[in-house]
Amino acid sequence: MSGWDTQADLGKEAATIPDPATTQVPQELREQIEASMALYPDRHSAAIPALHAAQELHGWCSPQALEQVACVMRVTPASLEAVATFYDMLETEPPPPGAPQRGRHAVYVCTNISCSLHGADALYDAMREAVTGDPGFIVRAFECLGACDIAPMASVDGVYVGPLDRDDIPQLLDDARAGREILPAKQLARRLVADPQANSQAFPEHDAQPPRPLAGRQAMAAEQPGGARPAGRGGAR
Amino acid sequence: MPRPQQRTISFTIDGREVQAPENTMLVDAAKHGDVEIPVFCYEPKLGQPVGACRMCLVEIEGIPKLQTGCSTAVKDGMVVHTETERVKTAQRAVVEFLLVNHPLDCPVCDKGGECPLQDITFGWGPGISRFIEPKRHFVKPLALSPRIAIDRERCILCYRCVRFSQDVAEDDQLVLAERGAETFVSTFDGHPYDAPFSGNIIELCPVGALTSRPYRFAARPWDIEDAGSVCTLCPAQCNVHLTVRDERVLRVQVRDNADVDDGWLCDRGRFAYPALNGRPRITRPLLRDGGQLREVSWERALSEAAAALGRAGEQTGAIAGGPVTNEEGLLLSRLLREGLSSPHVDSRAAGTLPLDLHRALGDPALQATVSDLEFAHAALVVACDPITDATILDLRLRKGVRRHGLTIVQATAEELRVRGEELAAQLSGAGEEVVVLWHERLTAGPEGIASAQALLAMAQRLGLAGIDGAGLLEVPSAANGRGLREAGVLPNAGPGLSEAPPPAGPSREGRGADAIAAGLAEGELSAVILMEADPFLRRSRREAWERALGRATTVIAYAANLNDDLHAYADVIFPAQAYAEKEGTLVHPDGRIQRLRPAVAQPGQTRAQWLSLVQLASALGLDLGVRSALEASEQLFDVVAFYAGLTLEEIGGKGVRWQERDAAGAYPIEQPA
Amino acid sequence: MSQQLLLKDIDEPGLSTLAVYERRGGYSALRKALKMSPADVLAQLEASALRGRGGAGFQMGKKVSFLPRGPIEKYLVCNADESEPGTFKDRELLQKTPHMLIEGIIIAAHAGEIERSFIYIRGEYEWQADILATAIAEARAAGYLGENILGSGHSLSLVLHRGAGAYICGEETGLLDSLEGKRGNPRLKPPFPANQGLYQGPTLINNVETLATVPAIMAMGGEQYAKLGVETSTGTKLVSVSGHVQRPGNYEIELGIPSREIIYELAGGPPPGHAVKCWFPGGSSAPVLTAADLDVPYDFESMAKAGSMLGSGAIIVVDDSTPILDVAMKVARFYRHESCGKCTPCREGTNWTVKMLQRIDSGEATPMDLDIMASVQEHIIGNCLCVLGDAMAMPIGSIIAKFREELEAHMEAARERGGAGEHAASQLALAAQGARDA
Ligand SMILES: Cc1cc2nc3c(=O)[nH]c(=O)nc-3n(C[C@H](O)[C@H](O)[C@H](O)COP(=O)(O)O)c2cc1C
Ligand code: SF4
Ligand code: FES
Repeated sequence: MSGWDTQADLGKEAATIPDPATTQVPQELREQIEASMALYPDRHSAAIPALHAAQELHGWCSPQALEQVACVMRVTPASLEAVATFYDMLETEPPPPGAPQRGRHAVYVCTNISCSLHGADALYDAMREAVTGDPGFIVRAFECLGACDIAPMASVDGVYVGPLDRDDIPQLLDDARAGREILPAKQLARRLVADPQANSQAFPEHDAQPPRPLAGRQAMAAEQPGGARPAGRGGAR
Repeated sequence: MPRPQQRTISFTIDGREVQAPENTMLVDAAKHGDVEIPVFCYEPKLGQPVGACRMCLVEIEGIPKLQTGCSTAVKDGMVVHTETERVKTAQRAVVEFLLVNHPLDCPVCDKGGECPLQDITFGWGPGISRFIEPKRHFVKPLALSPRIAIDRERCILCYRCVRFSQDVAEDDQLVLAERGAETFVSTFDGHPYDAPFSGNIIELCPVGALTSRPYRFAARPWDIEDAGSVCTLCPAQCNVHLTVRDERVLRVQVRDNADVDDGWLCDRGRFAYPALNGRPRITRPLLRDGGQLREVSWERALSEAAAALGRAGEQTGAIAGGPVTNEEGLLLSRLLREGLSSPHVDSRAAGTLPLDLHRALGDPALQATVSDLEFAHAALVVACDPITDATILDLRLRKGVRRHGLTIVQATAEELRVRGEELAAQLSGAGEEVVVLWHERLTAGPEGIASAQALLAMAQRLGLAGIDGAGLLEVPSAANGRGLREAGVLPNAGPGLSEAPPPAGPSREGRGADAIAAGLAEGELSAVILMEADPFLRRSRREAWERALGRATTVIAYAANLNDDLHAYADVIFPAQAYAEKEGTLVHPDGRIQRLRPAVAQPGQTRAQWLSLVQLASALGLDLGVRSALEASEQLFDVVAFYAGLTLEEIGGKGVRWQERDAAGAYPIEQPA
Repeated sequence: MSQQLLLKDIDEPGLSTLAVYERRGGYSALRKALKMSPADVLAQLEASALRGRGGAGFQMGKKVSFLPRGPIEKYLVCNADESEPGTFKDRELLQKTPHMLIEGIIIAAHAGEIERSFIYIRGEYEWQADILATAIAEARAAGYLGENILGSGHSLSLVLHRGAGAYICGEETGLLDSLEGKRGNPRLKPPFPANQGLYQGPTLINNVETLATVPAIMAMGGEQYAKLGVETSTGTKLVSVSGHVQRPGNYEIELGIPSREIIYELAGGPPPGHAVKCWFPGGSSAPVLTAADLDVPYDFESMAKAGSMLGSGAIIVVDDSTPILDVAMKVARFYRHESCGKCTPCREGTNWTVKMLQRIDSGEATPMDLDIMASVQEHIIGNCLCVLGDAMAMPIGSIIAKFREELEAHMEAARERGGAGEHAASQLALAAQGARDA
């Protein structure tokens, strides 16, 4: 994607709204985007959901992915590039060679203040080291993920786990690779609230609540009236 | 849409009471008291203020925080301070922040000397920077498009350029990428920013981040001159500033005329002119001699031309092209009518229209202005493609839609004729102020008259004559099409759309352009003058004109550049002036008379066209009574009844719509009492 | 005595489902509200004096009352972006009791005569979004959402919108731009969202906790609610405690109790052998307080008086094992990374501050740099488009003011080491590791 030092390629044409006649858009993606657009008074609101969907399909917000979204949304790909590069969860860098197109595992290690006070920076370094040479993982240092109560923590494909130790890393990665539940014992989903006055009786530790801690990515579709709940991300792996 | 009415209020700025229109932004209101509030991101042409750069912070009594002057509307009784220590500290802080990453390469920057950042740093900056960290460095400059270079180091992220692309041109090609201090101006995946109005971002940029590639290092602000002019590359007639050095136009910039161009230029107008410098110009008269065009003296060319015209006499036709001025058109038609007794002059591409229709379509009570397009409830665009026909109007329509809820309805000539009632209903649904934007081609062809009548019927149906801000707006084919018609360059009308003067008469009709071609081809006419007119431009006419010129005995042309057709057919060529060299007047499609002034000397032996016409006439024994460009204009104002009393001073830099002057009453149409 | 309005039995299995929520009396507040006129519901909200729980602490009822009345296109947007460092209270509600939030949204929309609503949830809360989506679908199926809610004639649509990772989208106008499909850049105010917000329409924006409190207010009555807490800070508040405390997590407290009680009695205080060095009372955007401030009552007014703010109600405790420079660096880096880049002081000021901190750490700074850094913070405060810039400048300014000696000593030590300063974060990591191992 473009950068500070990018020069326009004068051999290319201007990037206007893609021509539907020449832009191939996978049916599944088209349907997802169209369903999203229908939810809002202004179709432009679907930009982020559409980019989430394109990233899911392409592995990242590649120029091709942006063109496809642009084609369905009837906007220029540049306007989507502007959006995609603004948000941390939208990948605008190509995956390393050898990476699978779909289903790379996103590991976000929180390195913000509360987690750092509990060793998050070292954890992040160790995590990166552990995935060296495995293009199946995207490991990123993230800002506060909203789970400082389990510091230091990480989000693995949206599943929050913590407090993590360096020693947890191999198991965590193995679980992700195998498509198993990630470190079940350390999942946020099972934690009871800290406030001792909250619960009037001793409730059991949570069994991971509704269906499974799966992708909110499909949440949009589930939200639609009558919309069937699609298979979670696990199925795509 | 009713235009906002503004009342005047008074407020206090830096201890002085100042009057200003209510609700103008403080930075503009301050100017009424000669107070300058520095700005970077504020540019009202781009739409609502965004308050991003924070340069314009001011103190307002009763509001604890400093406020941005660019976005705060002035209210009666407001007390504003721009020189308190608090304000100065904030201004110095913002300049210091901006310079954190701005390179200090002014000596080698194209913007140096005309750079707002430079000026504001001197005027409001801290004098020193306490930033000692290394500045960021990037490869520079880089091509952003074939015409624009980008230097991202210098960018201060005011995002004017991006807002232009998104909110004015609406091409959405130029965007900001990334976030925070990493933000940069980008296009998609290395594509060039290539759009009809892209060049405007060069002028919008308040630093040297966006520069014109053709102009880079061509000149420094202190060794250039600046001349106001009017672009004649299309009928939109945008007002321009020409940057001149050593008698060459190096750059074309906007000359903000809200009633014409709204402060924008299209890329053709901006970049084509300097390119003209580079093209080989015809700088001396050319004469066909032994089958070859050879350079000859003016005397020789004039006498040969006069002799040939003398021989052809009333069998001569003449066509005036787009950039011909009113004065040149008037003199040309007089040469034909009075010098050669020929009624065959024309300036229309769409064929001849009965005079009463011409008059009805030009009825001053029915004429809309360009600004009306913006504020109307609806615009009916008939047989017209603004982006190619009068490029800048595309932006005006977009602005109308975006800012004032203009409804646009498009129709073809046929739809206008057949579905008039339906269209009218659709338009009235949007509101009563309707502007019908139509192109001259609507009146072409076998249905031309019917279409013109349908247009008038539409105006009648919508009651446009009685409504302020509503009316018809014609885009003529030729850049000065309206002016030429009003000057009498029509086969069936004299100056001021008067009855065609002699030799035309009931028994002898003047030929229009097509009939001139036919006449030449059939040997009924033998000579033709093509004044800055290229009949081959329209492909459908090509064959007819090849036959015509092939058969003609004499082809006399006024042209700036030589092309294959002239090579093949012209017998005499007079070097034509470029618009930057001319002196005279034009008429904008909405009736605004605009003035051309010479900005550069004409190259070689090029001669003013009015002068060579006078000389040609004189060689034919006709005294046109004109000894200077000024006298030519005065003659024009005399003979066009509804221009009566006009002076060049009155036209001034911004032009004047003749419909708004008293003399408009002399327009040859019955006005209902 | 405590009054758990939000967290009561929050871990009851299945609470996120409609069945359990209804069995516990859920949606009865809504039924009550639907029988009342919008004006009467609004009166209850105003009487409660509930202050917004997202950070700014503006009275919710007042905000609703600013909306133009009548049946024009208006919007309600629930701010579930929860990205303020140290804040994780909304998450607890979202994942465990989503129907409480939905019920609150429907009641608030009724009060504001609003028919379209959105929840903007941060993209990272994927699982929470799933739970919420399921709950919304259930609520719709049960007739609590959609056309003619429970036959009352009122309608409300609710769309769940996921963000994609940008702190600035928690700022209400940045959120609106993001929800409109753009970069999440804050907008100039005025116009305020209540006049011109989403799609240019009047818009009510409230935090998750604020809206989730609404059913309780309806159930007990606004006046009754206002009796909880203290006069200018009514009710109960969720507090997220994290950092160097032994029992990090969410606690529901009555506003106005001593901060010490929260940090020590509830969260267990720092690990044995360590003392509080400084604490952020309202997320990392709040100026730091020190051990000397532990007895300040935890409410909006008292925190402001103490020179800080209650913010989102996130207490981050830093104990004496951590160099203050590391804290400053974390804070500054965060805001540099999250500055949207639209306005100059925020974009350049956060960037410059990080660079200066790096120089302090690497031994290339002099005490004069601390003055420059302090003045840069002053130049940011009040001069930005939104308050993200202030959100860095205030804590950094407070750190320079309160820990100047330590910073100078740090600088000195780094210089003596020959400029070979360690990366701040790794020191922090080591220190923290030590603290946890202890
Ligand atoms: C930089 C910044 C980030 C913010 N983040 C959040 C947030 O994550 N969640 C939230 O509810 N409010 C956040 N706010 C506050 C919102 O702007 C807004 O005041 C709030 O959502 C209003 O809801 P309330 O009145 O219920 O508190 C943030 C404000 C700023 C300036
Ligand atoms: S390139 Fe120029 S106009 Fe564009 S954002 Fe940068 S400084 Fe502003
Ligand atoms: S973050 Fe950019 S203006 Fe506030």
